[in-house]
Parts: sequence; structure tokens; C-alpha cells
Amino acid sequence: MQQIDEVSDAQLVISIARFSEVALAEAYRRHGGAVYGLAKRVLNNPTEAEDVTQEVFLRLWNQPDRFDAARGSLRSYLLAQAHARAVDAVRSSASRRVRESREAMRTAEAGYDMQHEVWDLAVAEQVAGAMGGLPEEERRAIELAYFDGHTYREVAQLLGQPEGTVKSRIRNGMRRMRAALADKGVRGVDA
Amino acid sequence: MMSHEQASELLGAYALDAVDGEELNELERHLDECPRCRAELDSLREVAGALGTGVETVPEGLWSSIAGRLPERAHDETPPPMPRLVRSGRTPADAASRRRHSRVAVATLGAVAVALVAVAAVLGVGLINANNRADNLQQAASGRSSTVSAALQTPGHRVVSLRDGKHMLAVQFVVVPDGRGYLLASHLPALASGKTYQLWGIVASQPISLGLLGPDPAEATFTMAGARRPTSLALTAEPAGGTSTPTGPILATGAV
Repeated sequence: MQQIDEVSDAQLVISIARFSEVALAEAYRRHGGAVYGLAKRVLNNPTEAEDVTQEVFLRLWNQPDRFDAARGSLRSYLLAQAHARAVDAVRSSASRRVRESREAMRTAEAGYDMQHEVWDLAVAEQVAGAMGGLPEEERRAIELAYFDGHTYREVAQLLGQPEGTVKSRIRNGMRRMRAALADKGVRGVDA
Repeated sequence: MMSHEQASELLGAYALDAVDGEELNELERHLDECPRCRAELDSLREVAGALGTGVETVPEGLWSSIAGRLPERAHDETPPPMPRLVRSGRTPADAASRRRHSRVAVATLGAVAVALVAVAAVLGVGLINANNRADNLQQAASGRSSTVSAALQTPGHRVVSLRDGKHMLAVQFVVVPDGRGYLLASHLPALASGKTYQLWGIVASQPISLGLLGPDPAEATFTMAGARRPTSLALTAEPAGGTSTPTGPILATGAV
């Protein structure tokens, strides 16, 4: 279903392609917080998160044609860009070992901590609800991959489980999330 | 060569950027050739996008850094503030001419009331204010831009009124069926410099920025296209560049 912000987002990108700074500013106003928030969460470093946010919006400016409105929302596109960059930085980061030991502790706790305080209003609630409804092992695998920037093979190591199992758990968990979010009418997500 | 089943199994991890090495290359080769996998990936990316939807207050100055790096910009030193989305409708020249007009009006009135010079001097400030007010009223009545007049004549147009906490009318928009909205009348006080009014559309209980109205709204246009229109509009006062989510209290709201 087409929704207001997606439609106008597509129009925004057209204006950005015509070098409208106003349109880029509006795209930043709408999505800058989410982009920065995700980058910061993955990187655990505000300065690096700012760099990623800059790169994401500069790329939108330089290559607006990379966004294809037919394939998804601008929000998801920008977040995918931010995530890929943040994960690259994490994987090449010298502080990786520090992160890993910290994560090992978190993994040991295996508590459910989605840091609700930074989540975006209604979507946050719905996403958290959907995540809470996942089987524990699917949820852990998704969290370790997405928020901590691990490959699924690394997740398998961290959890002491076969790679094939983790791969399937991530896929099944993502599909379950998709069904749950589509049920709740979260924008952009169709079953 | 990766089979379709193998690729399909990996798509969840791929949407989370959790595939690497040779497996990643093979998967991407398969994606190039398989529309089914691409469609599945697109929808899983939306799930990842929802998962990543946390909003954090963006650091001050981040936008300026971005604007300062835009290659198409002229080489002036200071990056522009976040630009306003709407024309205020009042250029500095307009404002100057209106001020001149006011002074002429005051002078004329002053001449008529020549016997009451002392009183007129005291009333001077009040007269200027009254003239400004008259100017504003006249602008509202006859100086209304042709687009607003056209909107008011469009079949199916609606007038949306936003009221403040005391149910006083704060601002009115005329919205035409294609989703375009125009400022019809504003009773909003001018904000201090460094502040702007920002208009929000509430969709599925989420506020979506429809644009900035400036510190003293006179003329503004916004669009709320798409299948899911906002159920209501809301107005806040925000720092001059605007914000991605409302930070100020809601000053006025109205159902669409």
C-alpha cells in the first residue's frame, strides 16, 4: 500500500536529483534521526555514527538514482545504507576485541533489552512486540547480527550453534517478524 | 554456483548484512538473476528497516556538516541553515514597502490630527500597530495569493482548522482533493528569531513532518499525497531548522 511519507519521499528524491538542498534537508529531517540512531547503536560511538550519517545523506545527494521507490521505502533504503557502513566500520575496527568481550557478557545474560527509550513511538512498540513474540534463539540471532554487526557465522560461534541452524533461525525469525509487522500494519511491511 | 534454495536460505542474514566472503559474492550473483529472491530481499529489508527504526536526537551541527559538503554548493564558507520548505510569501522588499506604507499612513493621520500633536505622538505607536494589523487583514482578504483563491474554488476542497488548547482558532488550511494544502489564515503570534512553526501530519498515530511554516506564517504550501492521509494535523514550535520528530509541545491540532 502506498502511504503518505513513501509517496512524498519518492517526490523528495526526484527533487534531490534536481539538486534541491531543501529536499535533502527534508529527507534529513524525516530520517536523519533514525539513520544516526541505528549507526550509533551498531557502532557504539557517536562520532563514527555522525560520519556514517553524513556519508549516507551525501550518497543520497550524489546518487539519488540508487534509490528505487518501487523496491521499498526511503527509510529502509537509508537504514540499509547506514547499517552496511556501520557494520563495515565495526568489522574493520581495532576495538573489535573490546566489543566482543562486552558482547560475550551481554550474550551470557541473554536478557531482553531492546533499549526502548530510543525507539520511535508506535513502530518501536510494534517491533518490540513482534521481537518479543519470536522464539528466544531466533531473536538472539537477529539481534547479534543486526545490532552488533556480526556475520551469521560469527553468531553461530558466539552461541555455540551450527552455522546452518543460525542461518535458518535468522531467516525464519525475519519471516515471522514480517508477518507480525504486516498484521499490525507497520508501514512498508507486507506479508 | 549457488542454488535457488541455498540463496533463499541466506536472504534473512543478507538483509541484516550478516553474510560475507565468497558466499556473499555468490549470493549477489544469484540475486542479479533471480527476481523472486530480489522481491523476497526487498521485503526482508523493510523488516530490517522497521527493526532499525530507533530515533535518537541528531547532534547539533550534523546537518551543517552535511550541507557544507554538498559538491554543488557555491564556495561560501558558512553552510546554510536547514532551508525552509515553504515560501514565507513576504520578501524583505515586501516588508520594507509595507513599513513605508505604514509610516505614510501615520503621517497623514498625524496631519489631520494636527491640533492634537501631543496626543498623536502618544498614539503613534498604536497607530502603527493598527496599520500593520490592517495591512495583514487586507492581505488576508484581497492580497490572498491566486493559488489559495484557486484552492478555495476547487470542488471538494476542505478547510482544516487547527485550534489551540483553549479551542481558539490558531491557523486554517484549505486542502484540495489531490492532497495539496495551503495556508488560509494564521492567528499565530510571531516567534522569536531562531524558532519556526512546524506542521505535522498524524498518520497511524505517528507524526510526519509536512514542512516548516517559518516564524511568522503568511503563506505556505504542503502536500499530503498517498493512500493513507493524515487523520489530523498538528503544529509545534521548533528550532529554526526544524526537527525530525516534534520536540516542542503541540500548540494546535485539528482533524482533517
